[in-house]
Amino acid sequence: MMRKIWSLIRTDLNVTYGLSSIAYRFKNNKNRWQIIVFGIAMLSLIPSYLLMVKSLDGMYDLYVLIGQKSMFLLTGFLLTQILIFFLGLLYVMSKYYFSNDLAQLIPLPIKPSYIIGSKFISLMISEYLTSLPIILPFIIIYGTKSDEGILYWIYSLLVTAFLPIIPLVLASIVVMIFMKYTNIRARKDLIRTVSAILFIILILYVQLKIQSIAQKSIIEGRDFILNLIKDSNLLVKKLGISFPPSQWASLSLANNHDLTGFVYLIIFIAVSIVIFVLMILLSEYVFLDGLIGNIEVSAEKGKGKKILESDLTKVTKPYMALAKKELIMLFKTPIYLINTVGGVIILPVVLVMTNVMGGEGSISSMIEMTGMGLDFITLGCIGFIVALGMLNCVGSTTFSREGKCFWIQRTLPIRVEDQIIGRLLSALAIQVIGIVAFLIGSAFIIKFDAISIILITLLGLLGSVPMTLLGMTIDILRPMLDWDNPQRAIKQNLNVLIGMGVGVLYVMGLGFLVYKVINKINIVLIYGLLGLIFIISSIILYVVLKALIKKQFEILE
Amino acid sequence: MNDLLKIQNVSKTYGKAKVKAVDNISLEVKPGEIFGFLGPNGAGKTTTIKMIVGLLKPDEGIITVNGVNVWEEPLKAKSMISYVPDSPEIYDKLKGIEYLNFIADMYGISKEERKRKLDYYLDLFEIKDAVGDVIASYSHGMKQKIVLTAALLNNPELFILDEPMVGLDPKSAFNLKEIMRDMCNKGKTVFFSTHVLEVAEKLCDRIAIINKGKIIALGTMDELRSHAEERESLEKIFLELTE
Repeated sequence: MMRKIWSLIRTDLNVTYGLSSIAYRFKNNKNRWQIIVFGIAMLSLIPSYLLMVKSLDGMYDLYVLIGQKSMFLLTGFLLTQILIFFLGLLYVMSKYYFSNDLAQLIPLPIKPSYIIGSKFISLMISEYLTSLPIILPFIIIYGTKSDEGILYWIYSLLVTAFLPIIPLVLASIVVMIFMKYTNIRARKDLIRTVSAILFIILILYVQLKIQSIAQKSIIEGRDFILNLIKDSNLLVKKLGISFPPSQWASLSLANNHDLTGFVYLIIFIAVSIVIFVLMILLSEYVFLDGLIGNIEVSAEKGKGKKILESDLTKVTKPYMALAKKELIMLFKTPIYLINTVGGVIILPVVLVMTNVMGGEGSISSMIEMTGMGLDFITLGCIGFIVALGMLNCVGSTTFSREGKCFWIQRTLPIRVEDQIIGRLLSALAIQVIGIVAFLIGSAFIIKFDAISIILITLLGLLGSVPMTLLGMTIDILRPMLDWDNPQRAIKQNLNVLIGMGVGVLYVMGLGFLVYKVINKINIVLIYGLLGLIFIISSIILYVVLKALIKKQFEILE
Repeated sequence: MNDLLKIQNVSKTYGKAKVKAVDNISLEVKPGEIFGFLGPNGAGKTTTIKMIVGLLKPDEGIITVNGVNVWEEPLKAKSMISYVPDSPEIYDKLKGIEYLNFIADMYGISKEERKRKLDYYLDLFEIKDAVGDVIASYSHGMKQKIVLTAALLNNPELFILDEPMVGLDPKSAFNLKEIMRDMCNKGKTVFFSTHVLEVAEKLCDRIAIINKGKIIALGTMDELRSHAEERESLEKIFLELTE
């Protein structure tokens, strides 16, 4: 039995992290620069991380000041566990229910609980990557500043090791029950997509809220943090009571020198183990129910809509046919829908929500405060739409999304021009949805005149062209075609990140340019200038992309 | 008569491996010919086919279709070729009919031609009722039929199939063989790889056997027989040559 589980875990880790394929690639000298780019991206995060750690250091001092030292640890544990829980919901959903190894695992003579158990452990290892960078600073700052002994560090090790279990088990249970009861045949994908979008809205809202707190803190300075801690102390306490595991963890560390600490440590570990076992037992009953409906695609085989005579004679131009195919795939694959269409709708929705609930920190009051002119706001909105052109990920994953079906594109006599225009049109269609959502959303905040609306729509769309072409350029250089779960084509695709990085630079560059000239030349000229830049960069990218596609379509293997 | 498909001194090596997957092979296929491409697993059949259809660039050598170099004028060559891969990986979120229309649009097939072809092949493969469903709901064989139908829409000069019989029910396999015969009667060329020696023996005008990247036998059944010691069946010849 143990051998089975061990083998499952090993295979799962291998598949998830692609160990075998990385080793193969490294041996064959393929994509070595890819690893280097990733390394640089990671390194670039270090300064801001250090800054955060430094502010934690100050936070510790403040907690000591108000005589609530152990609250510092509790904050760390709560933060980590809440984050693990929320990220866990997404990870669990895709790992338990949407990964393609399931089709191979289910027929094997192994119990559902083994599958869940092995997937859980593989997930837990991923979660350490999230939890360690957050919790370690808390533990280390606390430990060194209050001169804790060896027992503290041993306790920390144990607590940290067990930290992801409880939130991840809770996430697993929530997801398994959710999947069991949403396993409704016809509207399954829709229900899941809508729930996922609602969930992302929630997360973004929380993020924005945190951001606005951070902004406030910059304005009010040290007093604010002190006040915040006084206030949030109560909040943390409340949360701690409603989520005891974090409290046990912090109490065990804070009281490591006496028996109380030991008892809390035992409680923490024991509860982690028990709840894990309970989840595994539960999985025997609920996992397959949620799953089987997910694998079977349509039980109405042959009863689908009868095709009409007109279906047989629909002639479409190649680029239009390609755009149509792209859109169908985007809308019918839940994970694509959430990331592309979901992305362009959610941002404006969150914008409105924060404004409605924001009070004095809201965007409308900020606009009033700074006395920004409508032209200035219009320019900002154009920048937002242009950035959305990259954030929607349509361009930067367009070839990756082909995956194993890429052979179709390469063996058909499709002109490169049609490839580019078709894919571009599909991205622009998504952008139109985003612009509509944005304009409706912003109507709650600012009153745009007709000219602004036209300018935002036209220049926004025009600016989305170079963004999409840029994304496509990045994607065709290193398309991620070897995936069996569409999740990987879009969520684990480095091209998306690279695209966003380059896209943000592009928009920031334009912003800087506009900032430099805004008081010197007429606003109409600025709009004209932007339009000209969009057109020129589109033409350049089009030429580059054309050559690249031609070359890459030949040499990709 | 000019050769429809001409492969000249083509080689291909994968990655940094020293062994050539395809090693300096040459062959010609005439219009109206059914050409069988046999060989054990890993012999280089699929690699060769992928080089013809534009999926793998040869390291050396030239491949022409009707005189058109497939790697210099890919669009012109591809519009004469139809390709059926060994595993039918197609856009599973599209409906069957959407996929077929997509392919037809890419080949620029006219309204009338499209209707005529679709009516005929959907009936022949008995998938008319299924093409309104999403492809994800299809069985392997049904996907194979969709790919076949799609490949036949453009009336290809050169029809290339990689292991086409796998997954087809007996009736569809029979139909496919009929289609292949019918095509070569109309002067079109069929090039396919297979493990089913019986099919090759009955269907092919000429056969090539490839092993470890090299063509070790090429000719009509009679010619192959005269080379081998064991002559009664292709199976015996195959086993003897690929030992």
